[in-house]
Amino acid sequence: MNLKKMGAVDYYEENIMLKKILPDKIYEILSEKVNFKFINEIRVRAGKPIVLSIGGHRVFLGEKGTTGNIKDAIFASKIMIEDIIFRASECSLYSVNEQIKRGFIVTAGGLRLGLGGDLIEENDKIKTMTNFTSVNIRIPHEIKNCSLSTFDLITKKDGVYNTLVVSPPGAGKTTYLRDFVCQLSERNYAYNVLILDERGELDLGKDNCIGNFSDKISFARKKIGFENGIRSLSPNLIVTDELGQSEDVDAVLYAVNCGVSVLASVHCDSIENLANKPFFEKFIQDKIFKRFVLLSLRNGPGTIEGVYNENFARIRC
Amino acid sequence: MKYVILTAVVILCGFIGYLFSRKYKQRSNFFSALILLCQKFDVEINYSRERLKNIFLSLDEKIKKNLSGIDKNYLLYLDKEIELEKSELFKNIGFLKESEKDVIFPFFRTLGRSDVDSQSKEIKNYLTRFESLFSSADAENKKYGTLSIKLGVILGLFLVVIFV
Repeated sequence: MNLKKMGAVDYYEENIMLKKILPDKIYEILSEKVNFKFINEIRVRAGKPIVLSIGGHRVFLGEKGTTGNIKDAIFASKIMIEDIIFRASECSLYSVNEQIKRGFIVTAGGLRLGLGGDLIEENDKIKTMTNFTSVNIRIPHEIKNCSLSTFDLITKKDGVYNTLVVSPPGAGKTTYLRDFVCQLSERNYAYNVLILDERGELDLGKDNCIGNFSDKISFARKKIGFENGIRSLSPNLIVTDELGQSEDVDAVLYAVNCGVSVLASVHCDSIENLANKPFFEKFIQDKIFKRFVLLSLRNGPGTIEGVYNENFARIRC
Repeated sequence: MKYVILTAVVILCGFIGYLFSRKYKQRSNFFSALILLCQKFDVEINYSRERLKNIFLSLDEKIKKNLSGIDKNYLLYLDKEIELEKSELFKNIGFLKESEKDVIFPFFRTLGRSDVDSQSKEIKNYLTRFESLFSSADAENKKYGTLSIKLGVILGLFLVVIFV
């Protein structure tokens, strides 16, 4: 898929952050021989070749750019991984330990580093993660207007339908949510939007990225973020990423009962399988969500497979 | 004219003595600043989770001066301009013994590389070692620092006596 044609924005800030966190050699190859704006993920595993995910396809990183041949690939070391994580934490792992405990670090500019290593538990609580063995650097992309084709289906005269964006990992849920919030603002829908950014990915920190009518609560669990946000910021719409736990479901129900619309996303590969997800029966039975937007990787991240109503009847695509 | 030259000889010898004593003073001040740095880290890391770079940038001017440039060299590493190597970290610092560098270098290498509890314990461990280094450096300063100046002046006076 050609992200450029879709309106991928060239992000100076991510490049700067990648330069800060990646080893110089890797950064030079990426900046000179691979175009950053087409990279979705950089996977670095100890003793394994560095893998790039470009438009849903996976290739190795070699000295001369991307390669399909493992013999030409650059292999990562444990020291390289530790150094990337150290740099991503602005040389202060202790300052991001709460994120590390949850398995990721988010840098300025919205780069998210998923971490693999040894989790240290003490008294049934995760204390930290050490002995890092892999890091997955996810590079966010702002794709202007990617939500536009579904915009009129999930908005109504007096607000936004409760909508669930459904897709497998890496298929563009966050990008879709971010663009939708931006579209609301650009079309002067003066709804107070609360962005509950649990992992710090939704707001990339750029001008107008989250619109002019948005407030943001970052790194809070959904239960706490929803309750505090509704009490203190009186939103008309709450936008949040990746529902998954039982308390997330409770938080959504709380918001809906308070008369606040919810636009959320969930990991799932099809509408049919959504009903089988744990904790989601209540949503389905009570028809909490009036719209479902299904995304896939079929034509690259962000492919809209369809928009469905509360009865799972397809209303477009 | 003769007296002017003789006075100059005494001052010159005293100055040479001062230069020798300065090394001991610098060492003592350096370890004292390192202890203050550790204490600051411990507080900032535990209470505000402040980033390393900000901690270094917000150091008192006096501490910065007494650290003799090790803070600037470390900031260069944080900015990814140099590798963290002994030769780079202790660049332009000639008053430390190799055995002392071997204690200080791992301290800088461990900074920022663990969670709050572990980092705080590490800092306290290094604090104890730095306090011990400070004690001996301070004792040396008291013993040899003033002695160098005195010896310088005595040497000057001795030369005066010879010339006269």
